[in-house]
Amino acid sequence: MDSDEEDFVFYGTPIEREEEITSRKKKAVAEASGQLRTAVPWKQEVRDEEGRRRFHGAFTGGFSAGYYNTVGSKEGWTPQSFTSSRKSRAEFKQQSVQDFLDEDEKDELEGRSLETSMQFDTFGFTAAELARKQAEKEQEKRPSAIPGPVPDEVLVPASESIGIKLLLKMGWRRGRSIKESSANSLYDLRREARKAFLALSAGDTAGKSASSELVDNDVEDVTDPSADDGTVFSRSTPVYVLNPKQDSHGLGYDPFKHAPEFRERKRSRMLGTKETLHRKPFPVGDSLFGFKSGRVAPGFGIGALEDYDAEDEDVYASGYDFEESYVEETEEPSKPMNENIKLLRNKEDGLLPGFKAASNSDYQLERFGPPVIPKDFVPHHKFTAPLDVGNKITEETPPEVPPPDDNNLKLMIDGMATLVARCGKLFEDLSRQKNQSNPLFAFLFGGNGQDYYTRKLWEERQKHNDGKKWQLDGKIFQNVKKMTAENRGKILGEKPLERSLEDTAVTAASTDTVNLQFNLADTFTKPVSFGEDPEVVKPFQDDPAKQARFEQFLKEKYRGGLRSMDVGGSSQMSEAARARERLEFEAAAEAIEKGKQGKEINTPSQLFAGVLPTAGLQFTSGEPEQAKASKEELIKEKRYPRREEFQWRPSPILCKRFDLIDPYMGKPPPAPRPRSKMDTLIFMPDPVVAAKVEENVMLGNDQSSLSKVGSEEKGREIVDEEIKVEVNVENVEKPVDLYKAIFSDDEDDDEDDSNPIQAEDPQKNVEVVNKTLNRLIAGDFLESLGKELGLEVPPDLPYTENRECGTASSKEVIIVDREEKDTAGVGSNRSSVGYAVTGSFMTAEVARASNDKQNTTGSAQTNGSRKTEAGIPEKSGRKDASENVKKEERKTKSPTRRARNWSSGSSEDERSRKRSRHRHRSRNSGSETSDSSDGSRHYSRSEGKKKRSSQEKSSSRRHSKHRKHRHRDSPETQRDSRYGSGKAHGRAKDRRRHRD
Amino acid sequence: MSNAGAESLPTKEVNVLKGHEGAVLAARFNSNGEYCLSCGKDRTIRLWNPHRGIHIKTYKSHGREVRDVHVTPDNSKLCSCGGDRQVFYWDVASGRVIRKFRGHDSEVNAVKFNEYATVVVSAGNDHSLRAWDCRSHNTEPIQIIDTFRDTVMSVCLTKTEIIAGSVDGTVRTFDIRIGREISDDLGQPVNCISLSNDGNCILASCLDSTIRLLDRYTGELLQEYKGHTCKSFKMDCCLTNSDAHVTGGSEDGFIYFWDLVDASAISSFRAHSSVVTSVSYHPKDSCMVTSSVDGTIRVWKT
Repeated sequence: MDSDEEDFVFYGTPIEREEEITSRKKKAVAEASGQLRTAVPWKQEVRDEEGRRRFHGAFTGGFSAGYYNTVGSKEGWTPQSFTSSRKSRAEFKQQSVQDFLDEDEKDELEGRSLETSMQFDTFGFTAAELARKQAEKEQEKRPSAIPGPVPDEVLVPASESIGIKLLLKMGWRRGRSIKESSANSLYDLRREARKAFLALSAGDTAGKSASSELVDNDVEDVTDPSADDGTVFSRSTPVYVLNPKQDSHGLGYDPFKHAPEFRERKRSRMLGTKETLHRKPFPVGDSLFGFKSGRVAPGFGIGALEDYDAEDEDVYASGYDFEESYVEETEEPSKPMNENIKLLRNKEDGLLPGFKAASNSDYQLERFGPPVIPKDFVPHHKFTAPLDVGNKITEETPPEVPPPDDNNLKLMIDGMATLVARCGKLFEDLSRQKNQSNPLFAFLFGGNGQDYYTRKLWEERQKHNDGKKWQLDGKIFQNVKKMTAENRGKILGEKPLERSLEDTAVTAASTDTVNLQFNLADTFTKPVSFGEDPEVVKPFQDDPAKQARFEQFLKEKYRGGLRSMDVGGSSQMSEAARARERLEFEAAAEAIEKGKQGKEINTPSQLFAGVLPTAGLQFTSGEPEQAKASKEELIKEKRYPRREEFQWRPSPILCKRFDLIDPYMGKPPPAPRPRSKMDTLIFMPDPVVAAKVEENVMLGNDQSSLSKVGSEEKGREIVDEEIKVEVNVENVEKPVDLYKAIFSDDEDDDEDDSNPIQAEDPQKNVEVVNKTLNRLIAGDFLESLGKELGLEVPPDLPYTENRECGTASSKEVIIVDREEKDTAGVGSNRSSVGYAVTGSFMTAEVARASNDKQNTTGSAQTNGSRKTEAGIPEKSGRKDASENVKKEERKTKSPTRRARNWSSGSSEDERSRKRSRHRHRSRNSGSETSDSSDGSRHYSRSEGKKKRSSQEKSSSRRHSKHRKHRHRDSPETQRDSRYGSGKAHGRAKDRRRHRD
Repeated sequence: MSNAGAESLPTKEVNVLKGHEGAVLAARFNSNGEYCLSCGKDRTIRLWNPHRGIHIKTYKSHGREVRDVHVTPDNSKLCSCGGDRQVFYWDVASGRVIRKFRGHDSEVNAVKFNEYATVVVSAGNDHSLRAWDCRSHNTEPIQIIDTFRDTVMSVCLTKTEIIAGSVDGTVRTFDIRIGREISDDLGQPVNCISLSNDGNCILASCLDSTIRLLDRYTGELLQEYKGHTCKSFKMDCCLTNSDAHVTGGSEDGFIYFWDLVDASAISSFRAHSSVVTSVSYHPKDSCMVTSSVDGTIRVWKT
């Protein structure tokens, strides 16, 4: 495009189109001569003599209008001759009406305005107006009860509009729609035709009715003209409204908008008052009482800008709605509206006018009776398929096999067989599948006891089928057919062995899965007839509560269908206890059942006595426990109110305001509050406890540091931390510390450094390790989660400000602390712990930290090995000092940065600055001594630094905030760096990186 | 004894203070009992002279209902809280809001000054207690206590402690001196707590229509007072000036008096036509103000 344009050369000036010029010029001329109608001043445009819009520029108003380039008046800058007011002072202008009238009013007054003449007043407005004026005049003349002008609704227009006249002439009737009349005529035509047709077909009743209808219509037509002279009736055009406004509410306001149920009520009441209106001249009386009764406005609403939530519901003002509606009722005007009332009254009864309620209605609710049950129907579900299959398979009788020696196995097999017989082959398959590797279920796979199992299964099936057959035949059951192995054993005098707990645990899994099936089978196969009178037997007489529950259980059981889950368990019982009890009940119920079946042979109590102990043996291993639990619960209930005590840390400023001494003065700040909900979710089931643990850790550190006065950097750091956090706290140990730090020699610094770490109580270690593990797991979890979701785990977590002002995060201290230890490399596992803890500070960071953990340990080890290579037998703690040396060394070499500190004057920075101050001092002391140490050591360590740098990268990333400034930094003196560094450790690492 | 006590109870209505439009949610005597403050659903706080039945001043600024109000011992400042999640710190004389403390995440149920009127402690629906500094211009809370597991309904301050009752069923005492939190679990939602005049007991009104008296030092349950209805409204209870009786309102508009020791209901009478939201006892005389949902505050004397 551009290149194209470059090729063209333009000569001369372009000719403007003639029309444009002429029109513009015309306009300008017209304007100048004042022919053009003047627009309002602010809409006028300024144009030059050519008629172009004049542009004034942005500062003077753009295309400005009005008196441009003037002082804003027509005269503008033109000088005016001064006229003194001294002589013609009292020239007072007489005000006239004209001065106060608008232009249109003036027009009207002078009769200049155009109006529609009466003759063409289509809608009758002018006529109405005229009539009104006339009425007003008349009103003035004669005295009246109503003062002032009569409202125009009262007055009817004197003359009809031309339109109405025309319509009337065309045959329109007042109150009818124009369209309808034509429709009516059509209808009439049709009716005429029908009438003729009917007349032809020898008029019967239908013809009569039609003719009567016609007569009706004619009557109406006769009445209609009468309506013309004033009393207007309508068919379609509403002359009066059905619901005229009768109250004094604002237009469109519906008091029953949210309570339509009161509308009817009010209406009926209104009618009532209408009727008594004549007798009661002053019906407002009860409204006065209403006010007297102390009714108060039900509170206020809320601001327009605030949203209305559930809590804003007026909980207190529920009872006022009625009263309000009553009061409103009395406010209606007294306008007689007889027709309306009639209509309304009819509506009241739910009837349309002209209708009356039928005496007998055909409408009846149709009810369907229950289906007829065939006589031979048995309420019993058959599991046909599997059972039948099983029956066929085990058609031939397996040989009788002696039970296996192992009683456990025997019990197992017996139980299994019973279940399989009951539930079908499917169950066997299922359990086989489930317990493939379980040696206890070897009998299912042809192992030990298979013969016995098949035999047993067969027996059970026989039994089961027999029972079924009997049931089907409707015969009474024979006795003890459904006896369990235990029962049999009991009867035969076998003594069942005590089951081991392990055994039950193993079987528990399998029975669990089967339970549902079992229950279903159970509930479906038991006919209702069993539940005749289970209450006769009371197996738990000694425990009435339990007995009650048992009865409940029985009831539920025989009611059929699926049982509710909370059968037989009171709410206080634990889940396990309930399950146990349930099993017990099951057994007892079975026993009772059997007792009933075999009443002739055994008395129920006898048999029951026989069964119950086995049941007990089987299920009540937890019985005493349960009792204990319930006892405990009782005690608990008694023990309300329960008192517990926790650690709580008041903020220093609160103590100050309460004029109390801070109980935590001189102690490190507490753990920060969990940052996010995720945090709490993962780590702390109980924040208080967690806080305590934290506190313990802190205290442990602190105490050790205090005991070894001014020794370890760690301790000092904590103290230092406190100083800056709790501004109002005076720390006595601090100066000593400082002096020690500066002037004590390197040697015992190191020794002390290593000692407390080793001397720290193992419990704390355990705690720390546990915590670490937890967090590592959590971290891994987070990372994996992040991977799954395709998100990147945020590499940097900002130090969010602690919500509790005045208390800084103690975890920060821990970080520093741990990192120090870490870099000091006190044993590989230690360092890992330290690192992990650091990582835990930031949940998102944990994953990385856990990864780095290996690095750390590795590097720490190499660190150690390096040391031995260098041939300097030292305690591990020495490394700390050497670390310092390194830092120092680096510091001198690397550029330091002060400017950054002043630029980023965040509180955090200041905090860290304070902290770092201390550190640098110690480093200084380190450097003093290390200067004397041999160069080989330096060398060897710098080697190690490379390795470590990788691990430090990750940790230093946390301080990326600071890192941002790094490259802008200018070289500074060492002294400056001491006071002016940000995150000391982060920086130190940076320096290392720089060097690397 | 009990009869004699009953005679000295304020059961005679002396004044009815009308002016609140809608429910009155709290009525409180000032520290010397000369004046009383009330607050209600109409978003106002009103200052009254209950003895003469005069309405003195109205404080308007709250955006929603005002749930609690407290005045400093020197009668110079007020604090109030309510549905707008803020705690207001007022100047009594000018009626201006000096400070608004924002920070509660939900409605604030109760508010109290400490002894020196330097700290306002508020209890909120956000399960927390917050302490606000009146001395500095800091509008952030100086302390947040959020060990509660549910809404904190009521708070009391002593010289050294913060005591609060919560719907989680606990009355928690935060001892600033020793830095301990003592939690007394009552097993029932605590609606209101009030201290005995000797400071040894806590009266806790629970939502099972029972008022419980706790020994503060041992956490023992000393007595239970029953008979009234308190199931769903925030209602007050308090001890009489002599600590001889316990008094509290009921949801049916009754006022109950119980003997402190034997927990027998000595007197009960219908005071209001609706829920009695608050009872406040004169610090020295046998005089009481009650407020109710019916929009009135009544002054009772012997």
